[in-house]
Amino acid sequence: MLYHLLYIDPGSGSYFIQAIVAAALGIAFFFKNIVLYIKHLFYRIFKKKSKMP
Amino acid sequence: MSSDFKKHKSSFRDPSGFVFIYQNVLYRQINQSYKDHYSHFISSGLYDKLVADNRLIGHEELQQNLSGDQAWSLTLKPEFIPFISYPYEWCFDMLKDAALTTLEVCLEALSYGMILKDATPYNIQFRKGKPVFIDTLSFEKYNPDMPWIAYRQFSEQFLAPLALSHYFKEPFQKILSNYLEGIPVSMASKLLPIRSKLNLNVFLHLHLQGKLASRGRKPQKNSNSFSEKKLRNILISLKDVITAFQFDSPSGIWSNYYKEANERSATSNDIQPTSTGSYIQIKKEIIEKWIDGHSFQSGIDIGANEGVFTKLLADKGINMIAADSDHYSVNKLYADSKITGLFNILPLFIDFTNPSPGIGVNNTEREPFTERMKADLVVALAVIHHFIIEKNISFQQVFALLKALGQFVIVEYIPLEDEKIRLMLKRKAVIPPYSEEIFVDAYEEHFVLLEKLPIGLSGRILYFLKKR
Repeated sequence: MLYHLLYIDPGSGSYFIQAIVAAALGIAFFFKNIVLYIKHLFYRIFKKKSKMP
Repeated sequence: MSSDFKKHKSSFRDPSGFVFIYQNVLYRQINQSYKDHYSHFISSGLYDKLVADNRLIGHEELQQNLSGDQAWSLTLKPEFIPFISYPYEWCFDMLKDAALTTLEVCLEALSYGMILKDATPYNIQFRKGKPVFIDTLSFEKYNPDMPWIAYRQFSEQFLAPLALSHYFKEPFQKILSNYLEGIPVSMASKLLPIRSKLNLNVFLHLHLQGKLASRGRKPQKNSNSFSEKKLRNILISLKDVITAFQFDSPSGIWSNYYKEANERSATSNDIQPTSTGSYIQIKKEIIEKWIDGHSFQSGIDIGANEGVFTKLLADKGINMIAADSDHYSVNKLYADSKITGLFNILPLFIDFTNPSPGIGVNNTEREPFTERMKADLVVALAVIHHFIIEKNISFQQVFALLKALGQFVIVEYIPLEDEKIRLMLKRKAVIPPYSEEIFVDAYEEHFVLLEKLPIGLSGRILYFLKKR
């Protein structure tokens, strides 16, 4: 068991808020990664085409 | 307790230890309660990593109980930072860099099984032009089940003033001197424009937090729903939004000052030129001549603008503070110093007609600017006439301020007949007492004259003074 020195007030509901924010960010990052993956895919396809003689 | 011992007035909140002065040297005590966290901080390699990356100040460990306190576990002698500045004295880019350093330090700590237990700009100082973390006791062992205890503090101390400055292009960090704990998220949320809600990160960290915080839910200490990945997502999201914040105001009212001054000849309108070289060039030559005979370590340039004279003095090896009340100039000087590598310049956003007061508990937690600033050399060039004519401050009050700031003073006297003063007087119904005689009488109360030289034939005069 860790002993935490909670000397600052985390603020009312701060843990609850972080759980919500983290969940929203999780969804946002999930979609961001899909977009990045698709962009990367397009980049690879066009890169291959431009290299073709 | 020894009379050589004095606890630092700002070091009382954290029960892990405190900062104190012993025989005029600054130390930090680590209490028994923090011993385990400190051992992990050192043994994990986090301390070495952060010091090597110049993101944390180094320290020396001492096994002496200098405070005589029963809670004592270890004494640290941290690297000395010559001048302590506060976030309400920083420009936007300085607060932004301080925020990013805090997040980077926290992300690095996670890789070593630790986390920051607080996130305040008072844990950051500027050393050699860059932000550096100064609070060794801010690191504690990380419990992956727990969210970040300092999340609200970070949002209020860093994110809220930066977001407000970004959206309104006004230096909101100044109001941190009234809000010592930061701008409340609920207040920031109400102040921010509606378009800020379109930014997902601003919406989540400020608007949503502000809305939920005002509902007053109790902290849930035993939440098991958190993870390191979630925490990293929050820290990365904060880093992304702060990196994107910009304070790109086109210019301040003083932004063309040096261009105009450089074009100005060193002669008055009525007198035929006999001296070559610009007004700025002659001023530089006089100042160089005067400082060459002294070994000044520290200096402050009042009304530094974009820092032409600050850079001249910094080039000579003097650790300079460049202070101005024009935010644009200070921000530009900070950016320039980073590019040019002139790291012995600390730009500060200060209005000398209202320098930072003492704030916090008993008004002693954060010291007034005039008590922190003890420079070898004070430079006040083409600035004091603004205090006197625009603000109706007397020469006596100006020299009392200069006396509080340093030992030697280089000050420029501009006569009433000067073109710039004549322009200022057109806007004034009553002219405050202003003459070279009043100027001399006022400085003689606190200073002795070392030398005075006219700046070409401009009518302006430079005075080199030493405190009595």
